[in-house]
Amino acid sequence: MQLGFLVDLHLCMGCKGCEIACKVENEVPLSTWRLRVKYVDVGTFPETKRTFTPLRCNHCENAPCERICPVSALHYLDNGIVNIDKERCIGCAGCVMACPYGAIYIDPQTQTADKCTYCAHRIASSMMPSCVVACPVQANIFGDLDDPTSSISKYIQSNQGNVQVRKPEKGTNPHHYYVGGGNVTLNPLASFRPEGYDLFGKMTSKMPVGGH
Amino acid sequence: MAAHEILAATNAVVTLDVGIPGIVWPWLVTVNMWAKSIGTGVIFMLFLLLRQYPEKAGSLRFPVTVVSIIFIHIFLLFTLADLHQPFRMWHIFFHPHWSSAITVGAWMATLFVGLLFLLAFLSFIKKDNAAFDKTLPWVVALAIPVTLYTAALMSQCTARELWQMPTESAQMVLAALLSGSAFMILVFGGKLGWEANRTLSTVLALSAFMSFVLYMAEYVFGPMKAEEVAAILEYVKGDGPFTVQFWLGQWMAYILPMLLIAFSRVSKSESILKLAAILALVGLYIVKNVWLMIPQLLPMS
Repeated sequence: MQLGFLVDLHLCMGCKGCEIACKVENEVPLSTWRLRVKYVDVGTFPETKRTFTPLRCNHCENAPCERICPVSALHYLDNGIVNIDKERCIGCAGCVMACPYGAIYIDPQTQTADKCTYCAHRIASSMMPSCVVACPVQANIFGDLDDPTSSISKYIQSNQGNVQVRKPEKGTNPHHYYVGGGNVTLNPLASFRPEGYDLFGKMTSKMPVGGH
Repeated sequence: MAAHEILAATNAVVTLDVGIPGIVWPWLVTVNMWAKSIGTGVIFMLFLLLRQYPEKAGSLRFPVTVVSIIFIHIFLLFTLADLHQPFRMWHIFFHPHWSSAITVGAWMATLFVGLLFLLAFLSFIKKDNAAFDKTLPWVVALAIPVTLYTAALMSQCTARELWQMPTESAQMVLAALLSGSAFMILVFGGKLGWEANRTLSTVLALSAFMSFVLYMAEYVFGPMKAEEVAAILEYVKGDGPFTVQFWLGQWMAYILPMLLIAFSRVSKSESILKLAAILALVGLYIVKNVWLMIPQLLPMS
């Protein structure tokens, strides 16, 4: 079994229901996110449009975070999920630095690394991840990539040529796919980030994370 | 299509995203690298001096070992201070994950500390110089990977493309040679005499030159190999937030010490050598700090 995620960006309308569902399900503290939806505005007025990109851990097959973790707090589950054992984590932040997707953060309450686990605890009880359940337009497709009859496999088959991963050149082999993505949505260097412009501008301080 | 062309064509602006982690490895990690360079560098220099000037350097066996112990402990202390869960440090020894440079480094540093204490025992308690000199090559051999492991750790940070092997490993060794020779000139230069000081200053000047060449090569050619490197180096170019600190570091750590050493050769002035050593040690901290910070400013998502 190899679990994977696919987000159809044609369908996502940026409601952030997945974000909130994730926060509630996993008790994610304030100022941190396991899953977040990035808004990128494209074009010049009046020819503008807004794109929405849900971002979460990519559960890479060749995960840099797993490799750099000195105590195996980050580890693979048999179903392909890159899971985290917060009791074992020493908070070195090596994984935060190693993740090319910026998907890992230091939990300010536990002072340990944390990230999306594809709701591993729900999957263990044969339930879908909370973000999948919350999405009103079924933009999140979740399932077994090894099973050609699973909904995610069928979605990938029916959208061949339009399925992308973030930063494929890094060799991480992500198990998180996007349909309808482009450079603007998937490449962080392809958009401007004016300081203080975004809604949470004051939270993007350069202060060290956590207890320092 | 390159990212900057996309930018020009689309005028894409991130209008909503949550806080980027920002600086995750703060100045504590800079101190970690700086102190480790001195702690291993003085051992390299002791080995060199005992080979070339055994009479002059004989009395330095114990003092240099103590200096190395102190700086390696500063390195370990700041490593511990940087952990968000420092009381779980023991997990590295009881749940080691050997693909991690942090694990390998922690084990090697521990062994290195053990060998340093053995050297201290041999030189201070047992007063057995022959045994000390037989043990020292093994300590030097271990000091090489100890000083290198941070480079391995940085190269494991995928997408922080500025930190690459083998450039970083070369920089780490050169930093150890530079700081080791500078520290020896500064603290023990008076006991060593002009000839030994000249040898140390040669090591200092050559390591400064090689480091400077590597940084300039990265500065000029780095942007040609990856768009992440180009974006990161923008932080030290033009009005970038680290431009002043970057050039201050390059001048203090490399350019001025090279010039001062050349000047001291002509004037045979130990005071000028000491000034070069102070600049090199302070400048190295600044250089290391800039190189640690700038890749962390780049948005990853």
